[in-house]
Amino acid sequence: MKRLLALAFISVLMATNTACGNLGGLGGPSVKIGLVTDVGGLNDKGFNSLANQGRLDAAKDFGVETSVTESKKQEDYVPNLTNYAQQNYDLVVGVGFLMTNSIWKVAKQFPNIKFALIDGAPANDKGDTENLPNVANLFFKEQEPGYVVGVIAAMMAKDKVGKATHNTVCSMGGIPIPSVDRWIAGYQDAVKTISPTTTILHGYSNDFVDQAKGKEVGLNHISKGCDILFQVAGGSGLGYIAAAKEKGVYAIGVDADQSDVAPGTVITSALKRVNKAVYDTVKAVKDKAYKAGDNFFSATNDGIGIGKVDAVVPANIKTAADQALTDIKSGKIKPKTEIQVKG
Amino acid sequence: MELLIGAGVIAATLRLATPIAFAALGGVITERSGVTNIALEGCMLFGAFFGILAADKTGSAPLAVLIGLLAGTVLAAVHAVASVTWRADQIVTGMALNILALGVTSYLNYEIYGSGVPSGVPLLPALNLDFLAGVPFVGGVIGHQNVLVWLALVLVIVLQLYMFRTVAGLRLRAVGEHPRAADTVGIDVRRTRYWAVLASGGLAALGGVYLTVADTGSFTDGLTNGRGFIGLAAMIFGRWTPVGALVASLIFGYGDALSVSLQGVSIGDLRIPVQLLSTIPYLLTILAVAGFVGRSRPPAADGVPYESEGH
Repeated sequence: MKRLLALAFISVLMATNTACGNLGGLGGPSVKIGLVTDVGGLNDKGFNSLANQGRLDAAKDFGVETSVTESKKQEDYVPNLTNYAQQNYDLVVGVGFLMTNSIWKVAKQFPNIKFALIDGAPANDKGDTENLPNVANLFFKEQEPGYVVGVIAAMMAKDKVGKATHNTVCSMGGIPIPSVDRWIAGYQDAVKTISPTTTILHGYSNDFVDQAKGKEVGLNHISKGCDILFQVAGGSGLGYIAAAKEKGVYAIGVDADQSDVAPGTVITSALKRVNKAVYDTVKAVKDKAYKAGDNFFSATNDGIGIGKVDAVVPANIKTAADQALTDIKSGKIKPKTEIQVKG
Repeated sequence: MELLIGAGVIAATLRLATPIAFAALGGVITERSGVTNIALEGCMLFGAFFGILAADKTGSAPLAVLIGLLAGTVLAAVHAVASVTWRADQIVTGMALNILALGVTSYLNYEIYGSGVPSGVPLLPALNLDFLAGVPFVGGVIGHQNVLVWLALVLVIVLQLYMFRTVAGLRLRAVGEHPRAADTVGIDVRRTRYWAVLASGGLAALGGVYLTVADTGSFTDGLTNGRGFIGLAAMIFGRWTPVGALVASLIFGYGDALSVSLQGVSIGDLRIPVQLLSTIPYLLTILAVAGFVGRSRPPAADGVPYESEGH
């Protein structure tokens, strides 16, 4: 009897569930957008949270129907993407280069559904990039914001502003992969160009989560004279900033504006407007202007930028940074994409 | 040489070994009583989150230590009920609690700290031993270590003495080796195991508190990053003794410290790749198991639920 009751209960549950699912489909011609996050979670204060911000902004401005699913592990990518595709969503957005193969699999299976992938292009089972007519690859020119904050770091070090007294600047990446290294490449390019005498150090925490390891890399760099620390390492980067805070030197944030993490320590942030990439892609789908293949977000279309600049940075340095951004926009400066000082 | 055994590297070793050592001590206590607790990772995560939450809300770092410790103990209490009273499979319960802890802390972190832990949270201070400042090496290694680093070292000695020099310690070990015999001579097996499991959760939580309230002052989802499990490995290398567990934790910490200090170093023209450096902790682990430890034997009744006679 008990078992029968449970069975009935489950059937009722399932029926309601399906009904709800269908209801969304019957809601008229409204555009539906699904977002699948990477494993970092929605409150990573970077990547995923920015993508979600773009989704919310789009929902508000365009009146589109949106939904988000968090991936708890990499095995979740395919089921999460498939779930939206099966429900005939108009656009399914995946976050992160780790999803390149998953999106290839699902997009091949659902050729009528549009997909977008942040930081990557679809890759087949052999690992080779294979562009699909229904996948938009949303790339960023990370070397550009890296260059702009590099201008600030270089001039602070050269002019020995505030606590920056050793003419040494540093950076830390999570793991050595192109989308991390591009930031650092731009940063180092700016320092080499503006202040060739400044010492540059670079390292990796080999992790995107572990704060304690990030902090140790920071303490190590500071013991070698680093006064300005730029991190591209997700949660691990917060440890790098904590080291700068503890030792009273400066840090530079990444992805989102991280000035709140440690006011007075974080002098500025290199921004990658993932929210804008999501927002613009939703708009493109709505306006029937969706473009598969590579889409670049750069200074030209305000896809990158720098965050709040702390009061410790003198006005002339701030002006120089703004000028660098303008020059990148006009094409006068083309930041390097290869790291010069390796970790 | 400076890069291999300099004061900077050894100081970093102590810092990186501390959270692992707390978890390992927790492991030693609970397994000596005959209960496996792989939920140490979850207890550590609880300590890390509720520690920083308490530091933020109460404005007191010492109170944060206490609350973090309690949070880990509460999670361990669930494990104790399931594994001692209900005699459930201890691995399954432990794993479930780890997943629960990750979910609970990630959810609360999102709800409470959606835009990050505020930057003014009070942190535990370092113990500045200024009289050591002039002493070469020693001053650099222990001159400015956090109070929790010292607490870990003190607890190692206390627990070593407790376990092998006191009657209560002997009873704890008896329960883990032969619960039936212990029961026969009037030792309360269930109560002993309860206390041991609770203590293990509290100890692991202290490791988590160290990470957030002493080391970085912020929290991100899953930031313990497997240190609870590494603590269990350290416990095994250390042959289920507190001092052994500390030595093993130091080896792990040293491996991590080396992978930082050797970055950017070249041997002749050959630059050591960072990917290779990240394998150092694991290489040391293999060396430790193969070379130094020899045969290690867990407590005889480790992981076996005890059913007293007549039931």
